[in-house]
Amino acid sequence: MKKLHLVSLLALAIASGVAQADRLDDIKKAGVLRVAAFDSNPPFGFIDPQTKQIAGLDVDYAKELAAKLNVKLELVPTNPANRIPLLTANKVDLVLANFTITEERSKQVNFSIPYFASSQQFLAKKGTLSSADQLGKLRIGVDKGTTNEIVLREKYPSATLVAYDDTPFAFTALRNGNVQAITQDGPKLVGLLANVPDKDKYEIPAFSVSDDLIGAGVPKGETRLTAFVNDSLRELEASGKAQSIYDTWFGPKSKTPLKRLFKISSK
Amino acid sequence: MEIYSPLFGELLAPKYLNWLIQGFAVTLVVSALSCLVATGLGFVLCLGRIARSRLIAWPVRSYLSLFRNTPLLVQLFFWYFGASALLPDTLRDWLNTPHGWDLMLFGLRWPPFEYIAGFVGLTLYTSAFIAEEFRAGVRGVPVGQVDAAAALGMNRLQIWCHIVMPQAVRIALPPLLGQYMNAIKNSSMTMAIGLAELSYASRQVETETFKTFQAFGIATLLYIAVIIVIELLGHRFQVRQLALRPGR
Repeated sequence: MKKLHLVSLLALAIASGVAQADRLDDIKKAGVLRVAAFDSNPPFGFIDPQTKQIAGLDVDYAKELAAKLNVKLELVPTNPANRIPLLTANKVDLVLANFTITEERSKQVNFSIPYFASSQQFLAKKGTLSSADQLGKLRIGVDKGTTNEIVLREKYPSATLVAYDDTPFAFTALRNGNVQAITQDGPKLVGLLANVPDKDKYEIPAFSVSDDLIGAGVPKGETRLTAFVNDSLRELEASGKAQSIYDTWFGPKSKTPLKRLFKISSK
Repeated sequence: MEIYSPLFGELLAPKYLNWLIQGFAVTLVVSALSCLVATGLGFVLCLGRIARSRLIAWPVRSYLSLFRNTPLLVQLFFWYFGASALLPDTLRDWLNTPHGWDLMLFGLRWPPFEYIAGFVGLTLYTSAFIAEEFRAGVRGVPVGQVDAAAALGMNRLQIWCHIVMPQAVRIALPPLLGQYMNAIKNSSMTMAIGLAELSYASRQVETETFKTFQAFGIATLLYIAVIIVIELLGHRFQVRQLALRPGR
């Protein structure tokens, strides 16, 4: 831990000394784009059991970016805690690892425009919930200590919230009829639903009450690289490529179908 | 700028204090109801346990060992998640939907299922312990007294009502209060099935405010306060008992 800290400090010192050097040029010169991705967070980044390579939604975006630069892609596996240190220590050029854009993180790294949204959605028995207006009258199961609980209480104070230790418990309560809906991030809900034996009885209504926006992490101050990523993401949306990447992992034919509520815009 | 000690930080907003108070009220109500019913049930179970008929004694024995030897948390999960899955759909739906009855002056509201499962789980668990405390009380009455009463021509009901019971209750009272304290502390486990009692409320406050020390600190103080009240009651009762006892 201490060692890592020293290394990152040193890297910071060097980086600030050569601030005028541009990362985008460096990448082109080296012919390699180094991207940090998760290796155990399906379907965003995980080791594909067949190919033994890191694959996933984040990885698909990384591949498109490397292809656009016409350079080789080098994937660096990371865990959540290492995402910022890898960027500040100049070990990677980009982080595409389900990286939620927050104000706090923006102080340390640049973020691209969002290319995915992890929305807070609901799981309910079919036909019981169709719009957010109904939430105020329902009993809703939440996971203890999550932002989901806080968001819901702020936006729908009249809803009755029942907090459980984790999502499977909340789901059992839904199944038993103790609550009429449960809430979690959409991707987590589809993952949960995929393993349920009687999944046709349940649905994830196509609305969300808040979005966690996911963007690519770029080293602080690398404006040209950030602009390149932003332009590329917009192009991917315009060409329909972004939709097809989404469909690979969350489309109707995937194991975890989830309606696409968020599209990349020029925000 | 920071004038408060870093341990306490800013004081909790009234809204959050209110959550804690509400949780405390739920803790008190659920524990009190559980203790009340568990005492009655425990008494009946005790009678069953010391019954001469094996047909009665053995099922009661199994009940006691089942409820005393399994963790309360597992029992609560059973009542909330397990048992409700076994109920017929119509009954389950009825239990889960709010109901109200308007009596002349006040209305009664059917509580959410967490309350029912929490109450049932805590009551059955506590009753098993209370039954054993009662039994210890009964066993604490010297056999010689029973024999002496029989020799005086009292029948079994008379012996039970006049000789054994009054003394057994007196012997069982201090440990019984201990079981009530346990019930209050055990009620915190019902947070696992979503019952919004004091521990649940303190965790919720912590989640929203990140004032960990205050949230759990206040909850701890409230628990201690109610336990102290029970202890004082017990103490007063014992002092009075000693004073009333003739020949001392």
